Amino acid sequence: MANIDSGIFSSYKRNTDLFDELFDENGSIKSVYQELFDLYGAHSIKDYVNLNDKAKASFFNQGITFQVYGKNETQEKIFPFDLFPRIIDSNEWEIIEKGSIQRSKALNLFLWDIYHEKQIIKDGIVPLELISSSNNYLHQMMNLDPPGGIYNHISGTDIIKHSDGNFYVLEDNIRCPSGVSYVICNRTALKRALFGVFNHYKTHTVTDYGENLLDLLESVKPKGVDNPVCVVITPGMYNSAFYEHSYLAKTMGIELVQGSDLFVENDFVYMKTIRGPIKVDVIYRRIDDLFLDPLEFKPDSALGVPGLFAAYKKGNVTLANAPGTGVADDKAVYTYMPQIIKYYLDEEPILNNVHTYHCSRPDELKYVLEHVHELVIKPVDEAGGYGISIGNKLTKAEIENVKKQIKESPRKYVAQPIMSLSVHPTYIDKSESFEQRHIDLRTFTILGKDKEYVLKGGLTRVALEKGNLIVNSSQGGGSKDTWVLKN
Amino acid sequence: MSTEYVITYKAENLYEGPVHKAHWQFLIIPEQNTTQDLVSIDFKNSINAYDERSVNGFGFRSIRIRPKKEFDQIRFEASFKLVKHQTNPFELDSGLTPSEEYEKINSLDFKVDFEPFLRFTHFTSLPDNSQDLFKFRRDISIFENLQALNTWIFKAIKYSSEVTDVQTTLEQIIEHRQGVCQDFAHLFCALSRKNNIPTRYVSGYLHQGNGYFGDAQMHAWVEAYIPNMDWVGFDPTNNILVSDNHIKVAHGKDYDDCAPLKGVVYASGDNETTHSVEVLSQEQQ
Repeated sequence: MANIDSGIFSSYKRNTDLFDELFDENGSIKSVYQELFDLYGAHSIKDYVNLNDKAKASFFNQGITFQVYGKNETQEKIFPFDLFPRIIDSNEWEIIEKGSIQRSKALNLFLWDIYHEKQIIKDGIVPLELISSSNNYLHQMMNLDPPGGIYNHISGTDIIKHSDGNFYVLEDNIRCPSGVSYVICNRTALKRALFGVFNHYKTHTVTDYGENLLDLLESVKPKGVDNPVCVVITPGMYNSAFYEHSYLAKTMGIELVQGSDLFVENDFVYMKTIRGPIKVDVIYRRIDDLFLDPLEFKPDSALGVPGLFAAYKKGNVTLANAPGTGVADDKAVYTYMPQIIKYYLDEEPILNNVHTYHCSRPDELKYVLEHVHELVIKPVDEAGGYGISIGNKLTKAEIENVKKQIKESPRKYVAQPIMSLSVHPTYIDKSESFEQRHIDLRTFTILGKDKEYVLKGGLTRVALEKGNLIVNSSQGGGSKDTWVLKN
Repeated sequence: MSTEYVITYKAENLYEGPVHKAHWQFLIIPEQNTTQDLVSIDFKNSINAYDERSVNGFGFRSIRIRPKKEFDQIRFEASFKLVKHQTNPFELDSGLTPSEEYEKINSLDFKVDFEPFLRFTHFTSLPDNSQDLFKFRRDISIFENLQALNTWIFKAIKYSSEVTDVQTTLEQIIEHRQGVCQDFAHLFCALSRKNNIPTRYVSGYLHQGNGYFGDAQMHAWVEAYIPNMDWVGFDPTNNILVSDNHIKVAHGKDYDDCAPLKGVVYASGDNETTHSVEVLSQEQQ
């Protein structure tokens, strides 16, 4: 058996205040990691670095990169990756999987309701302001029945393990959640580099995602279509997630298109091909709502397809996810998730919600303004970790500045206690050793007509800077392969 | 008694450079409803581009055009025949006391059902210093308050096509106290919604036989929802109730939901667009 004091973990500094995924409170290796630890332990850190570099090179060579939007320039980067995987045993996974499905279903029922009867608001469970002050509530979707009754076909749920050992959801992403291609590429890279190690565990595959996604798209085809033609629409190669769009189209064996490849005639959508126009039935869209159709939404958008919304409204084409889902991944809606789950499913939430203070409520605003130093302040409508302030990392002047911003537009902000994300040993180039880094998990849930599926893996995101709690790739996060063990 | 109308809508677009690709959507077809019957639609364009009938996101009938060859000018001409029925202006009583009316509009269910038309949009948000520009009286009915608002706007704003354009917000309108029908309608929506009355922006055609304001363009007015009375039309540009001179096309939260012409045009250089509208009537028995 390998010894903790020698091999790749010899200089691992364990802060016992943090929840370590690998070591228990006494410093012993947790049982699911024991075999992995033994296998890695037989090697020196040099061997590990060698392999890790090869894996990274393969990412560059395959063009698995993403863009970071900066103030003045955008940069192309690879998603930092290390070969030491995160392992989730089947018992823990069951909670995550059931919890992810529960949330996705509840959100779907919520979306149906707020675009039809709005009963949950009339019953006083959630306030009218959730829709009346949301810019993502699309009135064009009112009383429109999306095929199969599905709005959030694909959901990305961001889950953390707190220092109390319980899972908490940080965010539900139900517009165009990205990251699934990294899950599959991480697995491919790891298997290529360390097939011998991988083989010691009975791990669920992640490469069936494309298959399941295509099944889903076909299950929500428009009425009267037998063999639907499905496509992926991308804003184009300058989009941060373009690699993923092309990867998913390739994996599903369907066309990747841009708006200019499609046109609408008599309220049907067609794709231009060298053999003439082909009718398109289902569109997996990776374009935001307001860019979908310049005749209906943003008139200056060159990304969308003129007339697309009319075709959708008439039921001649399916859009996944449905337009208007953004209203439900607002951080203000998040805070009502326990009530929303109870209301529609009559179940207790399986995954916890982090307590949230609404700055729009005067008493909670007062608390937030007095406790900025111990809270995370988030704008309600930004994705990708932009605009987040973590109270205990701010200087006095910064705290005053945050307070000023909140006071100017309280509806725009929510606050949460600072959660202590669990940590996982992560290889750090700078110190050439393993160090504790905070991690989260994004699960990918697919909801179709009579279909539910959670990718058995998900994206473990790592905050690469020491002590940093924001794991988003746009904020300098990395990732790990995530092994979900079979029973 | 009813009136037969022939409405002609013309638009002409001139471009400096050739247009390679263009899409347009017209929201100009009169709505079919209990006060008006659409008899015929005729639509043509000067380059014989393919046009199709469709709907916009709110279900109003639209015409979409997508030329398949290059051009540098295009003319559109639509003509509609329509029969308008006269409504009885004396039926305007909700049968409720003012306090019953206000109780109704302040209930949660009512606010939820009419959420879109109680919203303050880009065009219907009042500037901070003008929130209380017009206050409703609690001792008179909603209808009477709205009539007073109609008159107040008519007197407060001078009709002028020189000052505003389709992008003008209420802040500028209130500052300059001038505007066109669109601005009158937006101001009405804002002040009426501010008093919790669901109000929608309406676009359409006005028969100007009686010397009403409105230019030879499409017209705009509003409809407010009064409990037990349904939607009631007000034309603040002319300080009148909507009558059989008003031919409705579409309604929405504001101008953006009802823009008569939306387009995406790929061309270089300047362009020029002109519109005209003509409404002719013939009284029937």
